[in-house]
Amino acid sequence: MKTLGVDIGSLNIKAVVLGDDGILGASIVPPGDEIEAGARKAIGMALAQASLSNNSLPAAATGTGAKLISFIPQQKAITTCLARGIHYLLPSARMVIDMGAESTTILKVNERGRLADWVNHDKCASGTGLFLQQMAKLMGVPLEEMAHLSLQAHARADISNTCAVFAESEVISHVHRDPPTPKEDIVAGIYASIVSRTMSLCKRVGITKDVAVTGGVALNDGLVNIMEQELGFKVLKPKSPQIVAALGAAIIAEETAEKGTK
Amino acid sequence: MTIAEHESEVDLLIRTFRMMARMNRAQPEARPSETLYYQMLAEYYNRIRNARQVGKLLAAHTVFFPTEILYAMDIIPMHTEMTTWLTALFLREQAELLAKGAELGLAPEICSPHRGVAGIFGLKAIPHPDVILWSNLICDNTAKSGELMMELSHSPGFFVDNPFQNSPGEISYLVDELKDMVHFLEEKSGRKMDWNRLSEMVIHANQEIELYQEICALRKAVPSPMSISNYLELLSADYLFPGQPEAIKYLTQLRDELKIMVERGKGAVSHERFRLMTLFVPPMHLINYLARFFEEQGAVSVVEPLFTCWPEGELDPSRPLQSVAMKSFLIPERRSMYGPLGEQALQDIIDSAQQYKIDGAIYWAFMGCRQSCATVRVIKEALSEVDVPMFTIDCDIVDPTVNSEEEIRDKLTQFIEMLEDR
Amino acid sequence: MYSVKIPSITRYQIVGCYRGRLNIRDTKLPTLDHFRVVNHAFPKTKEIMDLKRQGKMIFGWLCTYVPEEIIHAAGILPVRITGYSREMELEDGNAYLYVNNCSFSRSCLQMGLRGEYDYLDGVVAGSTCDGARRLFDLWLHYIKTPFHHILTVPRKYTERAHGLYYEQVGMFKQHLEQYLNIKITDAALLQSIEVYNESRDLLKKLYELRKLDKPLITGTETMEVLNASFRMPKELFNHYLRQLLAELAISGRACPSRARLMVTGSVMNNPEFIQSIEELGGLVVTDELCTSTRYWSDPVVLDGWSPLEAISRRYLSNFPCARMVPSDGRFERILQLAREYRIDGVISQIIRYCVPYAHDLPLMTEKLRQINIPTLALDVEYGTSGSGQIRTRVQAFLEMLETRKK
Repeated sequence: MKTLGVDIGSLNIKAVVLGDDGILGASIVPPGDEIEAGARKAIGMALAQASLSNNSLPAAATGTGAKLISFIPQQKAITTCLARGIHYLLPSARMVIDMGAESTTILKVNERGRLADWVNHDKCASGTGLFLQQMAKLMGVPLEEMAHLSLQAHARADISNTCAVFAESEVISHVHRDPPTPKEDIVAGIYASIVSRTMSLCKRVGITKDVAVTGGVALNDGLVNIMEQELGFKVLKPKSPQIVAALGAAIIAEETAEKGTK
Repeated sequence: MTIAEHESEVDLLIRTFRMMARMNRAQPEARPSETLYYQMLAEYYNRIRNARQVGKLLAAHTVFFPTEILYAMDIIPMHTEMTTWLTALFLREQAELLAKGAELGLAPEICSPHRGVAGIFGLKAIPHPDVILWSNLICDNTAKSGELMMELSHSPGFFVDNPFQNSPGEISYLVDELKDMVHFLEEKSGRKMDWNRLSEMVIHANQEIELYQEICALRKAVPSPMSISNYLELLSADYLFPGQPEAIKYLTQLRDELKIMVERGKGAVSHERFRLMTLFVPPMHLINYLARFFEEQGAVSVVEPLFTCWPEGELDPSRPLQSVAMKSFLIPERRSMYGPLGEQALQDIIDSAQQYKIDGAIYWAFMGCRQSCATVRVIKEALSEVDVPMFTIDCDIVDPTVNSEEEIRDKLTQFIEMLEDR
Repeated sequence: MYSVKIPSITRYQIVGCYRGRLNIRDTKLPTLDHFRVVNHAFPKTKEIMDLKRQGKMIFGWLCTYVPEEIIHAAGILPVRITGYSREMELEDGNAYLYVNNCSFSRSCLQMGLRGEYDYLDGVVAGSTCDGARRLFDLWLHYIKTPFHHILTVPRKYTERAHGLYYEQVGMFKQHLEQYLNIKITDAALLQSIEVYNESRDLLKKLYELRKLDKPLITGTETMEVLNASFRMPKELFNHYLRQLLAELAISGRACPSRARLMVTGSVMNNPEFIQSIEELGGLVVTDELCTSTRYWSDPVVLDGWSPLEAISRRYLSNFPCARMVPSDGRFERILQLAREYRIDGVISQIIRYCVPYAHDLPLMTEKLRQINIPTLALDVEYGTSGSGQIRTRVQAFLEMLETRKK
């Protein structure tokens, strides 16, 4: 059976076409002016990759914008989808650190791929993709370069403030110091601060191996590297960390369809 | 209309409650207990409004206060925090109150009901209290609120120092504190304490506690008969009318309604799928939304161990002041929020989880309440011992800008889906 | 695993190199340097670990309402539980105490959870404020120190309150006696009172040196002394402090300043915070803190009472914490300090979620204003060393004070 999963996030729309043998097509598309149109575009691209033309596949939607999509009635919470998706890709994962644009979510997943516990951090900007974007702007460094920069750091600038707003002013102080703190050290310091916040969240649910990292920020090697240093072990990274929730939605669409045929 | 433009908060509250009572009565399926509740509230604030006219002393007091003493002396009580909560819930003017609280210099981390209380006093939006009575139950915020209220209203005040534990020396300390308060009130009101009347109230208090226990027991039924929209009503009965006939009347009415529901096998929600434990209090302005969401999802809150479950304990009417003091140690909120966090409290939670057949628990982590949030982890661990998952939501109980309906829906949907998957 | 204590060579301090008016690194006060070494090593200082090895028991205490003399008289070393000396993400503290308990309680708990206080044989607290009592509750639950006791501390100063507190102190003494199978005699109590009173007297002498037009010791250095006072046997501390006073007397020091300041507010014991103020030229000549004047100001007065009652009276009517009612008691003493030390301005640092002190701030500011003393109100986290934000505001405050003087 082929199914479709769509994740309407705040920065990107992701679509996945899933078949019996694996992922047949996937796409990541910016939302554009109109969400529904953006979703159709993402779905179209994923279907094309899967060499399918029509869209009559059983489908499910998730993400903050899912309720804006009228043509996919089945909607599931992002946590449920992330749990399914990660279990499919990395069945040994018992904990998922999902770092998205606006919030970080930590999930605990049991052996059956079911969500056992979770906690998220969405009341403020610290530790999120948006915060990183801000920092990149402040430092005058493209976001993509920041990741590699931190890997060259010899030390980490001390950014003691736990609040993003004050952390910003500390970063500015570092940039304008005399002599200036090396850029790579500042980036390492910013990442260390983000990782610290994330660890705080993780401890609320208890750290259990294997730990997987998903979401856009997972592509950031520098940040993942510092996270591994803090954890003391390596984390698992799915090849396409941004589509995990969409994949999970596709899996749920399959489960629902199978229940229907019974 | 802003607060400054009407006569007082109280006028608006009375009008609102009377209207709601009328509306309720007009609906055939409405609960008589709900109608009664609004009538009680209207009358409570009406008495406050008329206090001066009828020559009675108006006493503002804080939470978990031995209000029986005031009633026995024919003094009109005005519960400061409840007035702020009711304003938040029914009049939606909390933004103005909180802003005034901030203007008076109170930091945003100070619990919002207390900032609201300061605001209501600062705006003079309530009838002028003749005396301010406060205690250190249930937290530092309460202990520090009295002096500011005295300053803003230029009224004399009395602080009741509640001891931390219940050793004999501490209990007698509290009784002596209450004796001093009685003298203070006799002086200010020109009335003497009627000890017989206070004894009667102790008898009523015993009845009240029994009714609370009966109501809790009825909610063990499957399906459970009480909706979360009754939660605030259930709390208010003791907050506003401890040891009073009104509380007995309301609780009896509610108990009878629940009894009928249980006999007929009827639940609060039409199709009960999940039985939930509620820890602390959801944002008050979202309680009705929550009730609708629960109905949709087939979820029902069957027990609130830290708030509505009273322990066993018989108060002795022949020693009224002693009994009023003892009652403060029995109050559920006090047991969990002020006092050593004992193993007993955690065991009670585990027992409730089993007795009420709980599928999951929701902890409403009110960010202004430090001592409650300190129990989040220990309670979560205790519940995991009996395989009950607990979900924590950071919230504010009166400030509507902190949590939106959408946020509550999204987060609770995640929780419900998790329960579905188990 | 990247450890929390980052070695100073790789740490970039925003503070930067200090140039200027007061060279506090080169103190020529060997005792002060010794205190610094002890503080840096705390909680596992050489002295404490040696005593432990010799079989001495060590109890941790929170709050100035815990009667230390009782612990001392039982032959136990009392050590004050404090948190990390830097502001940081308190991962374990947050996970157990939740983010809305003050960072002091979270910091202490985290240190406890990470085993930094694993040598403690007992923990004693008072039911003083919500943060402290929950810290105690969770300490018991998760760290399980063998002996633990919490005293009920009344919020009033009435005779009745003294009666209750006396009973509580008696119960604490009894609990200790039963636990250790000893008797704490009146003679032992008198002995301990003497030692502790001497300590208070010596600290008073130290503070007298700050009353001068050009004080002999800075606020930063004083905080090092205060920290050391809670971290070693009192007898030893008294010996060192006598030494330090002698060193100061012949030092020929004279600390200049742009303004004479008092630091007040939540519990604070990080000398770096005071340093960040003093580097800008404002001299902290006194402080109203749980770790300073509130700790040592009042001696135990015997006055015909039994030693136990004298102790309990002193501790309850001690320089008040913001939890006490009425708050006038605290305000009076603050105004007194301001006059005695001829303060130009007050810097209030209040930890986020520190409720009692936050409530007092508006009225305290007003009362100081009435005697013509401005207050700078800073929102901080426990352990902060004074970041860019704070320095900017202090700088502006000092400039304002200088302008007023002219």
